[in-house]
Amino acid sequence: MQFRQLRGDTILKIILAVASLFIIVLVVGLAVELSLGSASSIFKFGPGFLIGSNWEPSQNVLGALPFIYGTLLTSAIAILIGFPISLGVAIFISEKLKSHQTFGFMLGTIIDLLAAVPSVIYGLWGVFILIPFLRDYVEKPLHNSFGFIPLFSGHPFGYDFFTAGVILAIMIIPTMSAVSRDVLSVVPNSQREAMYSLGATDWEVTGKTVLPYARSGIFGAFILGLGRAFGETMAVTMVIGNIPSISSNLFSAGATLSSIIANDFSESTGIFQSSIIELGLILFFVALLINVLARLLLWRVTRGTRVKF
Amino acid sequence: MKNTYIIIAAIVVIVIIIGGAFAYIYLSTPGKKSTSTLASATLNGEGGTLVAPLMSVWQGAYAAVEPQITVNYNPQGSGAGITAFQQKIVDFGESDAPMTATQYGALPSGTTALTIPISASAVVPAYNLKLANGTVCKNGLNFNGTVLANIFLGTITNWNDPQIAALNPTIPLPNTPITTVHRSDGSGTMFAFTDFLYKESSSWATKVGKPSTTPSWPTTPLELAAPKNAGVAAAIAGNNGAIGPLEIAYILENTGQSSLYYGTVQNAAGNFIIANVSNIAATLQAGATAGLPAGNAQWSSVSIIDNTYNNKTATTIYPIVTMTYALVYEQQSSQTQGAALVNFLSWIVNSGQSLGTGLGYVPLPANIVAVDNTSIKLITYNGTPIQT
Repeated sequence: MQFRQLRGDTILKIILAVASLFIIVLVVGLAVELSLGSASSIFKFGPGFLIGSNWEPSQNVLGALPFIYGTLLTSAIAILIGFPISLGVAIFISEKLKSHQTFGFMLGTIIDLLAAVPSVIYGLWGVFILIPFLRDYVEKPLHNSFGFIPLFSGHPFGYDFFTAGVILAIMIIPTMSAVSRDVLSVVPNSQREAMYSLGATDWEVTGKTVLPYARSGIFGAFILGLGRAFGETMAVTMVIGNIPSISSNLFSAGATLSSIIANDFSESTGIFQSSIIELGLILFFVALLINVLARLLLWRVTRGTRVKF
Repeated sequence: MKNTYIIIAAIVVIVIIIGGAFAYIYLSTPGKKSTSTLASATLNGEGGTLVAPLMSVWQGAYAAVEPQITVNYNPQGSGAGITAFQQKIVDFGESDAPMTATQYGALPSGTTALTIPISASAVVPAYNLKLANGTVCKNGLNFNGTVLANIFLGTITNWNDPQIAALNPTIPLPNTPITTVHRSDGSGTMFAFTDFLYKESSSWATKVGKPSTTPSWPTTPLELAAPKNAGVAAAIAGNNGAIGPLEIAYILENTGQSSLYYGTVQNAAGNFIIANVSNIAATLQAGATAGLPAGNAQWSSVSIIDNTYNNKTATTIYPIVTMTYALVYEQQSSQTQGAALVNFLSWIVNSGQSLGTGLGYVPLPANIVAVDNTSIKLITYNGTPIQT
């Protein structure tokens, strides 16, 4: 009896180990394959590729900086718009709708549904609905009133960093709010009750107890959202305007690492193709770097909490 | 309870009887009997998106003629088509631009590539423009090579520029900045457009260089790029003052639906020509008369634009016309596949040409079809021609 149980445990352990190993093999394989594919580009352009700001395939002048810039800028806009909204939605559902379970459930389901919409649909909607709307009702007023600020100085035509950032924000809200919601809902009620018993207001309970308690989970949601913003391809390609440019003006067309890969890969050959694969490698490492930094930050933050209490 | 079972059983029986009846009718309907002796085969092709709508029309019509042959086409882009062809993972490749000398050099040893024009289309300057009197500018704004080049070089930046006004004296051009739109992905359409600008404008030739599927577009004050023809069309249609090169098939498909119109282009004889089926056919006729190489020779330098851009005698030709090509190997390694391929190619260049006119694809003129038929006869299996 004991022997059989042991064997069952061993088999389960092996299966689980293989499953985990598979993920590691996948990531390592990805890194190796990307490195091999981009080898000729790395040897030809060297580290200058990372800071080269011109992208002229037919002249074999290739630099990745405009795309790195575009990826970081659009993701930053997306997080700036999307994160507060997601957090607000999550707090609203888990804290304020506690007594209206049905409504909270419905709202949560609708948000989850948004996460299931394919990105090409967001892209199409972006081209035909969001771009005309943003251009006429957001970008033009901003440009007319605040045109002296470099951020809003460009002629607004809708296909730009700003629209790409907004569409990314819409796309990452479901992920971030769903995860934050789940995290907030598992905060023990005793925490809230303790605060209320001290006479705290709703705002104080949420701000001083619930959010700090769920901090690491919310941070996880933030990272998931950022990851999706980095990698999102199709919707961004359809609205960003696809001009490799580095401009502080939000209303100018740009390009991201993933959009240039989607645009140029199928028609590329030789050194051009190799450099596009190197862009993929850069995207891989930028994502890795952000993840590591975020984890370090989280580690410091949580450790700080423990010391304080 | 018992009743429920009886009802369920009755439903099942009825469904089976009806289903059986349909199956009987379906299976006993005599299919179109093919008169050919071709063995069943599957042909796989990969290549440009320009020809994809026409290819799906061909697939449907060809299935009715030769039901035992299945044709699959994967529109991944011209570059992908050439790569797949070089690696022999498809039965035929497809490209909007002929293979370059380097690409010919990369073919497997002992093989000869055949380049077979299968269709043609025109690239038009499409725009969305509200005139100074408040009306929408319809088809027919006049352009020439120099003006188009200057617009995309960024030296003409407003619609009321004297250079545009000189070509359109009767049109109230507005004071609207020009937004230039082009493709963000590599494209045969861009190759044709930059080929024309390269021929027409010396400043374009020095600043941008040779025609390319991914040209280094000069920076203009207002510039954006969108993926695929559909993306470019949407970007132009959504922005007053936008202009961009577009495949004519796309505009014809969307006639009356959007604020998308297209202009004329001046040809070598000095006439401003609006692209339509007869003008494009005239261009092809003239371009082919100037000489096409044999199917198994290198087609790298073949360009209808090059062949017609200084043809001053053909007065009605539209100057930006491009052909799209099927790529096949002269030496086939299977009798069955080879015979199916020859039959399919022969069908599309002869019977299939008239099927595309509704979509804006111009039937190849007789002199190009003749070149194609000669090329198809070159296809061999074990050294013996498949079609005699």
